Order: sequence, then structure tokens, then C-alpha cells
Amino acid sequence: MAQNSEDTVTKLKKELIIPNSQTHLPEADEFIESNLESLGIDQSTVADIAISATELINNAILHGNSGDTTKKVKIGLYVEDSKVEVSISDQGAGFDPKVVPDPLAEENLLKEVGRGIFIARSLVDGLVFDTEPGWGTRAIITKHLD
Amino acid sequence: MKLASREQDGVIVLAPKGKIMGGPDATAMHEMLHDLVAHDKKMVVIDLAGVDWMNSTGLGILISGLTTMKNCDGDLKLANVTDKIKSLLTITKLVTVFESHDSVDSAVEAFTKG
Repeated sequence: MAQNSEDTVTKLKKELIIPNSQTHLPEADEFIESNLESLGIDQSTVADIAISATELINNAILHGNSGDTTKKVKIGLYVEDSKVEVSISDQGAGFDPKVVPDPLAEENLLKEVGRGIFIARSLVDGLVFDTEPGWGTRAIITKHLD
Repeated sequence: MKLASREQDGVIVLAPKGKIMGGPDATAMHEMLHDLVAHDKKMVVIDLAGVDWMNSTGLGILISGLTTMKNCDGDLKLANVTDKIKSLLTITKLVTVFESHDSVDSAVEAFTKG
């Protein structure tokens, strides 16, 4: 295990790159869940992270990469004593998370889509979007460990 | 994800098993719900006991199924909603949209009682 400059211990640092297709969602989920479970993280926390991550992976595949099967999605998994970080990067042109409609608004309640980012954010302690050099939009979720 | 289907007292009971996260399996469930209406099956119970978790794709399928059934004067009810799914229904306010029951029998009975 590596020691970083803040005296925290890196327990895990791994990356998975999948083709841009929802048929690879189970592979991405297995990558996240099996690695977290192997570290003894409780099932409920693992599920919250997996749900949040798959929301963002779906967004990367369908929206960020516009369903282009020649593109890829990169999933980064980083665990230290106190937190888990999952990053999801697409190869798209970027987007503004502020323009996503409110799924709790009355007129949106029965819409079949539009809840992904809201749910992703609700289940973790932090969700930020930035741009990864050489890729496109990167979503980074953070979940603190008790 | 596997999807089992049976009929109980004239009500179709669908029992997905596994995780509903998107992709071909989710599409298959979505299509099955729409096919039911084509075969004049408009009373549906979704038994969620075997669902480990679902994301917004799963919620979208449930909403689509409910809307489809209601548009044909039918209905879709939920049974055996796990704590994880109940939490999602609550934070998305969908808990006010779906009728949930503690068992399949209770959900089926709710149809026959009218």
C-alpha cells in the first residue's frame, strides 16, 4: 500500500476502460463492486457507489459519447482509509450540469429519464464534473467511509 | 438480470432478478411490459424481492410500465420493495406515484378488490 503526502494510506488504485456500449455495464459494475467488497466495505455502501457510478457510466455512454461505439469510457477507482473515489471519463465535448432539468419538478415527475445525476449525487458525499486532458468530461464521485 | 413471469388470479406478476442498471436486459423488461398491453394484459404486479438494486433506468422502466397500463385503464403495482429501492423511490418522490405492497398476494388482491 502506498503512503500519500497527507499520511493517508492508498488501499487501491485501479482503472478499467470499456467500449462505449451498455452491454459492458455489468463488467463495469463487477469491477467496482468486487474491488470494494474485497476491501471489506459494507454492502449498502458498495451498492450506493455502484448505483451512482452506473448512472454516470450510462450518461457517458449515451450522452457524453453520444452512443458512438468507437469511443471508450474510462472508470477509475481509488480507495484510501477514509474515502472511495470513482471517476468516469468520456470522450465527448463536455456538458453543463447546471442545465439538467429538476426531476422533482411536478412536470418532470413522470418522465422516464432525467434522474441520473440527481440520484448519483443523492447517494454519495460529493459529485463534481471537470475535463480530463486527452479525454472529455470526467465525473468524480466521493463517498466517505465510516 | 433474469425476468420471470406468471399469472395469478388474472394479474401478471413480473419478477426481475438481479440488478437493473441499463442495457439489453433493461430494454427487454421495458418491451415485455409494453407487449402485455398488446395482449390485453393490463393488471401487473412487479415483484421486486429479487432485485439487488436499480438505478434510474429501472425507475424509468417502472414509470413507463405504469403510464402504459394506466393509459389503457389498467394499473401497475409494486410488491416486496427492498429498503434500497424504497430509498430511491422516496428521494425521487416516486413513492407518491406507485402503490406498494408487502407481498405479491396483497398486491394481487388489491386489483381484485378494486
